[in-house]
Amino acid sequence: MCLSELKESRSAVVTNVEGDSRFISRITSIGLTPGCRVKVMKNDKNRPMLVYSRDTMIALNKKECQGVMVEEVTA
Amino acid sequence: MSTGVTVALLGQPNSGKSTLFNALTGLRQHVGNWPGKTVEKKEGSFTHKGKEYKVADLPGSYSLSANSDEEVITRDYIASGEADVACILADSSQLQRSLFMLADYAGIDVPCFLLLNMSDVAAEQGKKINAGAIEEKLGIPVIPFSATDKKSYDVFYEALGTVIKNKGMLNVEKLNTQYESIIGYREIYELIPENVIPGYSAMWIAVKALENDKVVMAKLRAALDDQTYSRIEDAKKNAQGAVATGGCKFAWIDDILEKAVDAGDKKISLSFLDKIYTSRIWGKPAVILTVLLGLIASFIPAIPLMIVGSLILAVKAPVMGVLSSIGCPEILTLIIGDVVIQSFSYIFKMLGFVFGVTLVFGLLEEVGVMARISYVFDNTMGKLGLQGKSVMPFLVSFGCTMGGAAGARVIDNWGQKVLTIALAWAVPCGAAWATVPMLSTIFFGPGAVLVIVAVLLTMLLHMWITAKIFGAKLVKKEDRYGMIMELPPYHKPKWGALFRYVFGRTKETFIRVTKVIMLVCGVFWLLSYSPSGENGGILYTIGVAIDPVTRLFGMPWQLFLSYVASAVGKEGAIGVISALYNGGSYSAGFMDAMNGAATAGNLNELLLANVSKPEALAFIFAITFNMPCVVALAATYQETHSAKWTSIIVLYYTVVSLVLAFLAYHIGLLIW
Repeated sequence: MCLSELKESRSAVVTNVEGDSRFISRITSIGLTPGCRVKVMKNDKNRPMLVYSRDTMIALNKKECQGVMVEEVTA
Repeated sequence: MSTGVTVALLGQPNSGKSTLFNALTGLRQHVGNWPGKTVEKKEGSFTHKGKEYKVADLPGSYSLSANSDEEVITRDYIASGEADVACILADSSQLQRSLFMLADYAGIDVPCFLLLNMSDVAAEQGKKINAGAIEEKLGIPVIPFSATDKKSYDVFYEALGTVIKNKGMLNVEKLNTQYESIIGYREIYELIPENVIPGYSAMWIAVKALENDKVVMAKLRAALDDQTYSRIEDAKKNAQGAVATGGCKFAWIDDILEKAVDAGDKKISLSFLDKIYTSRIWGKPAVILTVLLGLIASFIPAIPLMIVGSLILAVKAPVMGVLSSIGCPEILTLIIGDVVIQSFSYIFKMLGFVFGVTLVFGLLEEVGVMARISYVFDNTMGKLGLQGKSVMPFLVSFGCTMGGAAGARVIDNWGQKVLTIALAWAVPCGAAWATVPMLSTIFFGPGAVLVIVAVLLTMLLHMWITAKIFGAKLVKKEDRYGMIMELPPYHKPKWGALFRYVFGRTKETFIRVTKVIMLVCGVFWLLSYSPSGENGGILYTIGVAIDPVTRLFGMPWQLFLSYVASAVGKEGAIGVISALYNGGSYSAGFMDAMNGAATAGNLNELLLANVSKPEALAFIFAITFNMPCVVALAATYQETHSAKWTSIIVLYYTVVSLVLAFLAYHIGLLIW
């Protein structure tokens, strides 16, 4: 599933990132690479998402989330 | 030219790079543009133990890819050998992610050292970082740093000295091993001859080739024979690309940080303030309130300089009196009084505001609030091709356009900054709000509300259209992507560095705007100068002569002269009209009104007797959307450091305000 489908306060592991090279470069440099853990801090409708990953609070537009595939993990 | 050492500062946005740059160089800095590029170039210098050092503050970017001019400029500048040492900054409180820059740098053949900035914030979060362990793995000096801590600088200078002496390079062996795991890497690596692109190692080039870096690929195509190049292309096709190389970089970082960092067990949660800023309902009101409070707060530090401005004005009349009493030629007296003293009065009032706005909004940036502002308005501003931060200059411009332009400096992309300023000009400023409702009430009574609504709607449309026209040139398509940004932790401001920076900025503004304001005021004075003291002079003659033309725009010559004067100062426009319809001298009327003299008591009757409703409507639109004033012009020049773009904006606003006047007049004619 993609990142934006993840509910608030859930955690997941990034499985893949997809998009043009510009997107890949940006999303990689902010730390979202396959294998990294993310925690959803906020996921409101029509608002950017807030996730925590690699020591960092990251704000992401919903559209940008479409390119980040994740697998939910428990605890 | 000095033969000193050049240090390049390299770091992601919010890594504290600018703070360090300001702290090191203080007043000794210069801002310009990279030749032929719309990217800001910041240079400065400092002296330590009698030695001269140059510092280049490279554009903030998240990596060193070829996706933006900023990144290409940054990496080419370092690799070109212009910098002797690269100082790479990472944020200790977000170490894992912010070391990405170091990983992307690895392979550039320039000595470097690593600064673990914000170590105080990390300590507050309960993180323990063993810099020695990291240093051992990287083979370069690694220093925990906090810009507030004086001792930090001693260590900084010491490390800088060590790197200059030893020319220590980053140990990239383990990173190379990581890359070896990528299919195709080895093949490409072996096809790349030593020094094929000067300054970059084969490892770095091979990785960029895998990432499909257009600039690197073009250079390889030019440097290599066709056969070798196509073999690289083939190898690249079968490889995994940027996702894999990114994974390797982070795997390397993880390995470096393993055992070197004790993250503590602090639970991750949103702070109370962030809960408000990120709230769906309260986010936008909270940001607007923050900016407005900031605007009000910025008046406090502005007061002393504003008082200086008023004092200068207060000496104008006595000085002019003395000059004429000692037999100084009248024209010289007028130039000294109406041009020089008057200009300096504007300049100091302006500096007060620039000082206040730079300080307060610099502070908001420092402590991390600006990133929240960016977050909240990113979607809205993105539609105009801007960053969320651009909302701040717009709001400030309701008070004063010059403040808006000065505040636009927090926007790190030059094109977006210029676009923001260009749009901020469309926001009616405080002087417009003092004039427009008054004029509207005189002519339209209760209908004034409709006029004001029409002005606001026009403003929005104006901004939208201007964003389309200017945006195409200023903000490249590839710079318009959705938000992917970090929200840095809040931290304490570094007052010393902040003040040094604000003073430096104010000083630079003073030097640059003095020329602009003197020039514009001088030209305006010359054009309106009439030797007889009666109404006359070049502007008057031209105004009267082209009256039939300006009437097409709904402005008889009296209103047209007032419109021209409003470009210098909106406050003066009413003074000009009332002087002209009263049969007085308009240049004197302008000066008096600019200096805060009360408007003539019979203004209502004068206007109603001489100006028709459609003309009034045309005039309202013309002065509202005209060039805001000479200080806004000067501030725009100062922030964009482009005479070309400043002129384009001026010309554009003049034309648009006349078009709007034309439309308003003819719509008015249909109604009345």
